[in-house]
Amino acid sequence: MDKNNDGPVISVRNLTQRYGRGRVIYSDLSFEVPRGRILGLLGKNGTGKTTTINILMGYLRPQKGECRIFGEDITALSPATRARIALLIEGHVQYSFMTIGQIERFYSAFYPGWRREAYYELMRKLHVSPGQKISSMSCGQRSQVALGLILAQNADLLVLDDFSLGLDPGYRRLFIDYLREFAKAEDKTVFMTSHIIQDLERLIDDCIVLDYGKILTQMPVDRLLRDFGRYTFTTQAEASALASVGGVVNPGKIKDEAEVYSFSPAAEVEAALRSHGIAYGDFRRTPMSLEDAFIGLTGKY
Amino acid sequence: MDKAIIMKEWLKTRLVFFACLAVTLAVGGYAVIMMNRLIQLKGVEHLWLIMLLKDNSFVDVLKYLPLAVGIAVGVAQMAPEMAQKRLKLTLHLPCGHGRLVGLMLATGLVELGAVFAAQTAVIAVWDFTILPPELVGRVVLTMLPWYFAGFAGYLFVSAICLEGTRSRRVMLGLLGVAVAMACFLQPAMEAYNGMIPFMLILTVGLLSLSYGSIARFREGRQD
Repeated sequence: MDKNNDGPVISVRNLTQRYGRGRVIYSDLSFEVPRGRILGLLGKNGTGKTTTINILMGYLRPQKGECRIFGEDITALSPATRARIALLIEGHVQYSFMTIGQIERFYSAFYPGWRREAYYELMRKLHVSPGQKISSMSCGQRSQVALGLILAQNADLLVLDDFSLGLDPGYRRLFIDYLREFAKAEDKTVFMTSHIIQDLERLIDDCIVLDYGKILTQMPVDRLLRDFGRYTFTTQAEASALASVGGVVNPGKIKDEAEVYSFSPAAEVEAALRSHGIAYGDFRRTPMSLEDAFIGLTGKY
Repeated sequence: MDKAIIMKEWLKTRLVFFACLAVTLAVGGYAVIMMNRLIQLKGVEHLWLIMLLKDNSFVDVLKYLPLAVGIAVGVAQMAPEMAQKRLKLTLHLPCGHGRLVGLMLATGLVELGAVFAAQTAVIAVWDFTILPPELVGRVVLTMLPWYFAGFAGYLFVSAICLEGTRSRRVMLGLLGVAVAMACFLQPAMEAYNGMIPFMLILTVGLLSLSYGSIARFREGRQD
């Protein structure tokens, strides 16, 4: 885009990345993040979530492929475009040698649309004084400082790498509530990762689920939870027999209780079981959270 | 924007800066006291004689201090950037990377310059009260290579701190040791006079090391 707002905010085409010359992290990864959406990049450890953010932010040169943010090639983002992007580094890393007041003054010099009040409103809720050093704050408090800076920057795109790292449930909830309200009220685009999937369910509109080397799915969360089902049933069949049933993924079995996941409707899954000669009973679709769907797509191991 | 970057660098280095300034002035004062003591015992003529005949500048005690100051300021300034890969925050600032790195290095170099100037002032002001201008000039010229070692030490340490790969850090470290050692090979006064222009050029050249480290960081060359 895109200063005219008529294209995706982030565009990734055929991205291929390896660990050095070794294992492929992913190959020909392509996705887009439309304007005004909150997109979560989900994946197990080592699937390349942080690597993707490092590439997008220009800290890692992609081995193959093209990435654009606001229409600009990420290998040469202009300062003007960087000013439109708020970045949260994994662990809420900030300039911890600064105080609450110093860091606000520091960043305000770089961003013309800086909203000092948004930052200090959050700081007042933390009951911290402007003279308090960031290094003396708890991880939760530091996360709020990082969030306050993001809100004050008033960027068009927010890139958040594992915002939940090290936060207790209260601070995670606070972070999500503030962020969602801000993003929705101001029509911001958010691209984020988190290793705590249950947090994201309340926050993201769309998700990309990464597995080792590929994208498993990319779709709106509500559609994923509608179309992707968990089916449980009782059966005497071996778990290995369930794995051979077409259209189902990551089957599991404990004693006689089996579960499979599928994008197919219940009737089709039942038909597939019958066509494989698998006798079953008490077949039902059970409700799922985003975390359940994630496990269903990626497996427990 | 420039002011904010300089403020950030100052916040990281101010404690080390003031500590270095205090130590430098104290050691400079010590050198002055030792000269004064010799004058009281044997007279100023004796001091002149030793300076002229035995090539003694009476400031040898300051020899390695600029190098130590350069290393201390470099570590204080650049190590926090690499801790938790905070450099990502700095590189994300909406400012040209060349200008950003230039301002960071300029802040450190100005601080070193201030410390070295204060040390020179202590020695030179005292020397002018007891020595002819020619001898004062000799003492100052003798100290110049030590200051170069300080600037070079700072630039090498900065590049090492900003460097993401171990192998490159070791290489820069070895190169830095070699350059620093070269500044202390000749103990005679004014031994490096002919080398001063070369040292100035080399100092400017060493600025490129940190730019190289940053460029490699941005390419993802990190262990």
